[in-house]
Parts: sequence; C-alpha cells; structure tokens
Amino acid sequence: MKMKIKRWQAVAVWKWDLPDEDDVCGICRNVFDGCCPDCKSPGDDCPLIWGQCSHVFHMHCLLKWLEQESSRGQCPMDRRPFVAASA
Amino acid sequence: MPPRSSTSAFKGPGKGRIMKEIDACRTDKEAKIKVELVDDNLSHLKGTFEGPPATPYEGGHFVVDIQIPADYPFKPPKMKFDTRIYHPNISSQTGAICLDILKDGVAWSPVYTLKTALISLQSLLQSPEPNDPQDAEVAKHFIRDRKGFEETARAWTALHAKDNPDALPAGMDISVVKSLEEMGFSRADVVKALSKAGNNADRAAEILLTGA
Repeated sequence: MKMKIKRWQAVAVWKWDLPDEDDVCGICRNVFDGCCPDCKSPGDDCPLIWGQCSHVFHMHCLLKWLEQESSRGQCPMDRRPFVAASA
Repeated sequence: MPPRSSTSAFKGPGKGRIMKEIDACRTDKEAKIKVELVDDNLSHLKGTFEGPPATPYEGGHFVVDIQIPADYPFKPPKMKFDTRIYHPNISSQTGAICLDILKDGVAWSPVYTLKTALISLQSLLQSPEPNDPQDAEVAKHFIRDRKGFEETARAWTALHAKDNPDALPAGMDISVVKSLEEMGFSRADVVKALSKAGNNADRAAEILLTGA
C-alpha cells in the first residue's frame, strides 16, 4: 500500500536549559518551568534570568527584589552585585 | 458575623510560598522546627524549636511569634519570642530580637525562609553577641558574670520554656491574667484571648465574653 502525505503539522516543545529540571526559583519557590506568582502561563512571557554569578531566577521575581532599596542591587544568593549574563 | 480578617487579608505573591514553607516544615520531622498557622490567616504564624544542647536553653521549648508582611519574601518576616528568655540579644521584657537577617535592608535575602530564620535564631541561642545587645542589662550580666548569667538563663528556661503551667508568653502581665481568670475563664482561654488582643485586657475580655 502506498500513502501520500498531503499535509502535516509540526508540534514542538521547549524547556529552559537547566541542570536540574525540578529546580525551583529561590525567590518564589515555583519550578523554573512554571512561572512566577504574578504570571498565568509559563514560557516567553515569564522568562528566566541568569546572572554572571550563575544564579538563576524568574526575571519578574529578581526585578522585584532589585526594586527594593534593601537589595542594594545584589544577587539574593551570594550578595555580589547582580549582573545579567549575556546570552 | 463579624468581618473576618482571614486569608483574604493576605493576597501577596508570597501566599503560595508561605503554604509551601509550612508544608515543607510539616514533612520534615527531623529538623524539630515547626511552623504552624495561628488561625486561617496566613500572615500570622507561630514557630517553635528546641533550645540547643550544651547551652542554658537546653531542654527548653521556644515559641516564636511570626508576622508575615504583605511583600514577603522581599521584606523579612517579623519575629519575636513568645516564650520569655534570658539572652543578651533578646528583650527579657518583650521578646524582641536583635538579629541582622531579620532586619530589612541589613542582611535579609528573599531566598531565606521561615525555617532558615528559625535555625538562625536557634544558633543565636548558641552564640550570643553581647556587644550588639537587645537587652543591655542582660548583656552586662553576660559580660560581667558569665556563670551567674548562665544560672539565670537556665532558671528562666526551666520556668518559662518547659512544661510549666505558670509560664506566660512575653509581655503578658500575671495580674491581668488573674483578673480575667476571676471572671471564670480558664488560664488557657485567657492566654489565648490576650495574645489575640495584643495583651489589651478590655479587648481580651470582649473576646472571651463573645466567644469570638
């Protein structure tokens, strides 16, 4: 029997490239593949941010922390000035 | 029915995190650190831990009052001892605590949790910092007469932090407790009402009478 494919639809999934898939954001304690508490759906709208120090957070969580005067611009993990790693 | 300041009062993004933290403490039976809800309001909790061994606090059971600010975990939880304790960095009168990680803008970080904060309190009991006192009198005693300090601290632990029916939470006045007991309420109910009323005798009486 011969078949002719007339049409096909590709579906792809993507994940954040993390050493441990079950890892959680240290600020909100939600999984990285989920989203921050203020967002409804994970993915591009609720991205992760990596620091040069290698620590990862939901971007929204980290920005909220950096907005606090008390953060003094420091990474919550190591207290060094937080500098985003360039992609 | 009176308006309830229940879970609805605390809607911050930290709400989910608090629930997770309480769950984590419940499942971790080995740490001997407990965090429990006072009522159904997620912004008011009680933490408990054991006094560290080989200290004057050994064998004691310490209760810490925890208030969660709306912007937790970006701001630290407010903690104070309910159990009266004799320690240079804790007020012997009010239970107020002097610890850098509990101060906003000093050393708090949003990656800390209630559990890590309570562990820090436990280690504060192990290593007092008399040069950065919360209670100057206790600190003086600690510096001048270490042995005498330890005796007093041990006596306070026995009196307030062990199963002692006469022990009262910090800031609670025995004469107020007695006057409410005379109205025919049990010690346990009186203590509960007074803590709910922030030690205001009139409000506590109201709570007891209305059964609120």
